[in-house]
Amino acid sequence: MQSSTSSPLSSSERALEVHHLSGPSGSPLIFDIDLLVSRGETLLVLGPIQSGKSMLMRHLVGLECAETGTIAVDGHTFDPTKPDEKGLRKLRARAGVLFEGSALLRRISVLENVELPLLEHRHSSRAQARDAARELLAEVGIEVDDSTMPVELGRAGQRRVALARALALRPHLLLLDEPTLGLDSQAAHNFDETLHALQTRYNFGIVIFSHEIRHAYGPANEIDVLAGGRIVARGTRESLLQSDDPVIHGLLHRRERE
Amino acid sequence: MRPRRSAYLTGEWSARHPAGLRPGGRFLSRGRVAVGALHWLGWIIVSPRSVVSGGVTRELETLGVGALRLVGSASILVGLIATFQVAYQLKQYGAESVSALAIGWFGTREVGPLVVALLVVTRSASAIAGEFAAMTSNGEIDALRAMSLDPVKYLVAPKLAALCIALPALTIIADGLITLGGWLGTTFFLGFNSRFYLEQIRTSLAMSDLAIGVAKSILFAFVIAIIASDEGLGVDRRVAAIGEAASRAVVYCLLGVLAADTLINAIFYFIPALVL
Repeated sequence: MQSSTSSPLSSSERALEVHHLSGPSGSPLIFDIDLLVSRGETLLVLGPIQSGKSMLMRHLVGLECAETGTIAVDGHTFDPTKPDEKGLRKLRARAGVLFEGSALLRRISVLENVELPLLEHRHSSRAQARDAARELLAEVGIEVDDSTMPVELGRAGQRRVALARALALRPHLLLLDEPTLGLDSQAAHNFDETLHALQTRYNFGIVIFSHEIRHAYGPANEIDVLAGGRIVARGTRESLLQSDDPVIHGLLHRRERE
Repeated sequence: MRPRRSAYLTGEWSARHPAGLRPGGRFLSRGRVAVGALHWLGWIIVSPRSVVSGGVTRELETLGVGALRLVGSASILVGLIATFQVAYQLKQYGAESVSALAIGWFGTREVGPLVVALLVVTRSASAIAGEFAAMTSNGEIDALRAMSLDPVKYLVAPKLAALCIALPALTIIADGLITLGGWLGTTFFLGFNSRFYLEQIRTSLAMSDLAIGVAKSILFAFVIAIIASDEGLGVDRRVAAIGEAASRAVVYCLLGVLAADTLINAIFYFIPALVL
């Protein structure tokens, strides 16, 4: 298996660097995870349901206490075994997250959802935050009134709003949990295109956590196959297609069978 | 004005451990939410144009204005019940005519704030806990935390602020309507005239009674907001947890309000100097 952590990149080019991450503390579900994502690159963490993908993502933004390991986002190291307020704020200001199902706040408007991180972290005025939110929404192809609520948008629209919110602080790393789950193929394709255009423009690293094989046929530079909380294979799609491992074979050849 | 940030009071630790645990159990968890909510309530007071002030207005509409009809109709009925009950007890001593005295005094000090608090618990405690539990289940709370946005600041503090305004206001309205219910009972059913009833109420009622009732309602608002919010925020990410949290919130809020009221009454009884 190719070691992901042996790349000779400078720390400024590294969007994410994870070493020996196991957790959550007390009852670990992910074991000895190493990840490396450079700015402008896309890593796909592919695995079946219940393989630990969401748990891994939760560790990367400090929503779980790890048992062992280190996490560095944009060159800033964070100790996930002892999460502290200051470290968490630094980490989260550098990593945008899109949760499965969008996780927009339903009781506030679409614009307010996007404004929140700007008001909290940038200390922008309301008017500045509103202008920035409109700009972010325009970038992801959403145009709304001040009073438009998340529920008034379709699933694809909500996903785009969640993407705008994740990009509000101009992070160098974007974590996407099942970003196109539940979207029809056209909406999923459009979402991928928007994401790719934004990555080209802002040069952030992307980690996609998904069980959908379609992402393996997208712009991912590397695919890490997660099973039972461990990375069981790592490589490009072409190299993994040669594998005889039943888990990898089952995941990657499903599309061909379909 | 921005308050001084404290690692304990803000962000992650004021609500829950990042791993979703509630270190120290339910009691300590409530304490953390209470300290965090009080901190952010102070921030809302000194900075009324803050990012969460819109949330206070929204909650005031839901938790306060929305409860007006229930509190209004229930208060008139409580006034009638109190009249009949007190008059029935006093009738055997031939003192039926002084029932208005008891309604004026007991209504504003005890029945008004307690009835309003219990009605708000039945109407809103389950709604608050259910809303937060649903947000936890949908990943909205995680999304807030992942942006380092404190759920206590953005969700709990606006509800606490709204309840601290709504409960005293509803209590004053309830006091008036209990008196109205008492007047209906005294004049239409017991046969005393309105002038006599109003004279009795005027004699029995002091501003201090009203102040004690309002002070109690603020304490009840705090108990309801903290317990219901903590029950909602402390659930697992299961759909079934939403109903469980709502049920628990009602039970614990009822007990909390009654325990707080008992404590206040015991203090007034054992330290008579405090009775204004």
